[in-house]
Amino acid sequence: MLRDHLFPKTINEALTLLKEYKGKARLIAGGTDLIPEIREKEFDFEVLVDIEKIKKLRSIREESKKIFIGSGVTFTELEENELIKAHAQVLSQAASLMGSPQVRNRGTVGGNIVSAQPAADGALALFALDAMLEIACTKGIREIPIEKAYLDIGKSIINPSREILVGIRFEKRKKGEGSNYQRVAIRKAMALPILACGVFVKSIDRSIASARIAIGPVSHTPFRAREAEGFLKGKSLSAETFERAGEIASEEVNPRDSRLRGSSIYRGGLSAVLVKRGLEGALANIG
Amino acid sequence: MNSKKKVGKEIFLKINGKEETVFCQPGETLLFVLRNRLYHTEVKEGCGKGDCGACTVLLDGVPVDSCLVLAYQAEGKEILTVKGLGTPEKIHPLQKKFIEKGAIQCGFCTPGQLLSAKALLEKNPKPSREDIKRAISGNLCRCTGYKKIIEAVEAASKA
Repeated sequence: MLRDHLFPKTINEALTLLKEYKGKARLIAGGTDLIPEIREKEFDFEVLVDIEKIKKLRSIREESKKIFIGSGVTFTELEENELIKAHAQVLSQAASLMGSPQVRNRGTVGGNIVSAQPAADGALALFALDAMLEIACTKGIREIPIEKAYLDIGKSIINPSREILVGIRFEKRKKGEGSNYQRVAIRKAMALPILACGVFVKSIDRSIASARIAIGPVSHTPFRAREAEGFLKGKSLSAETFERAGEIASEEVNPRDSRLRGSSIYRGGLSAVLVKRGLEGALANIG
Repeated sequence: MNSKKKVGKEIFLKINGKEETVFCQPGETLLFVLRNRLYHTEVKEGCGKGDCGACTVLLDGVPVDSCLVLAYQAEGKEILTVKGLGTPEKIHPLQKKFIEKGAIQCGFCTPGQLLSAKALLEKNPKPSREDIKRAISGNLCRCTGYKKIIEAVEAASKA
């Protein structure tokens, strides 16, 4: 049973509360995943520590070389933010496609990561951006690449009874870089993706210097299509290159047969299509 | 004897412009408190987990599923339910158009649809059809009468 619901105003205050309750307290951000669990009585904590009033977690700001997004930023805020539109089209697009307006008004980017679903739209976009996570605990602050934060379906390395995901950082967009998000679902809103894909491309002199491709759900965690990424390196920008990269990606993914999302064969084929469209979209976004 | 203090506290809410204080327990949703503690039964409970939008209210002007907000999180905030939108004597232009266009079948989703539409028109007074569809995309109509709902919102935006 829940005994209390507290609203600390600073990160340190929140960390102190988590420590005082010795694992019996849990952080809550937007609550769009957690509140249904509370309703179903599927929880083992006694106290909620709410991050809503911690201002540092609610901001998006420009640093010298990077963009910082506080973990408590909502999907609506992400979608509408001009810095995100300018530097990370993939994230802006992913945010606009997640859930419904009501869910986007509450759900946070930090919760999207800590919930660790392999097809989480925010997380796939941040994989494509090679984002770093800033995590705080009473012992101090550490930074890890987002890819290292995932352990299994629904399980992240961040323990919400002990530590706080402070925010996310990724590099500002430079000349020749672009990104894009592709998503196929049964309906355009309030539907889990059948398949989604985030793409980042850096091009120099009409050829690809580097690319990052994140696909989900095709594994227990968001999946980086590294063989396709390797193939793209140094190739010229052409329809054939994108087509071939899609084919390679579809060979390295391993989607399950799913009654909700479609067969493995279908979703494998769809991977090729979304990677190709994502590359085309990222190219059109190059600044 | 159980001498334990009762868990919970009085929280302050401003509902449809009226200040209310209500005893709540941690973990209770805003939807539960609105319906079961304050008898605002105009807020409908559909799925209870954020899929259907029937329980939509405006929280400081922003549409939220009240089943996905805890009452403690709504403390001190302004809540608008469909009862605060208009009354039979003083009907809101959106309600008028919903009636005129026949955008109500069973009526269960209507409070939520109206509030999502109200938030849209506050932000974007001249929405496109696509904008309207997107704004009500989190409100399921079990009668599938979407076409008339979209027409009603469009008509209200032009009125």
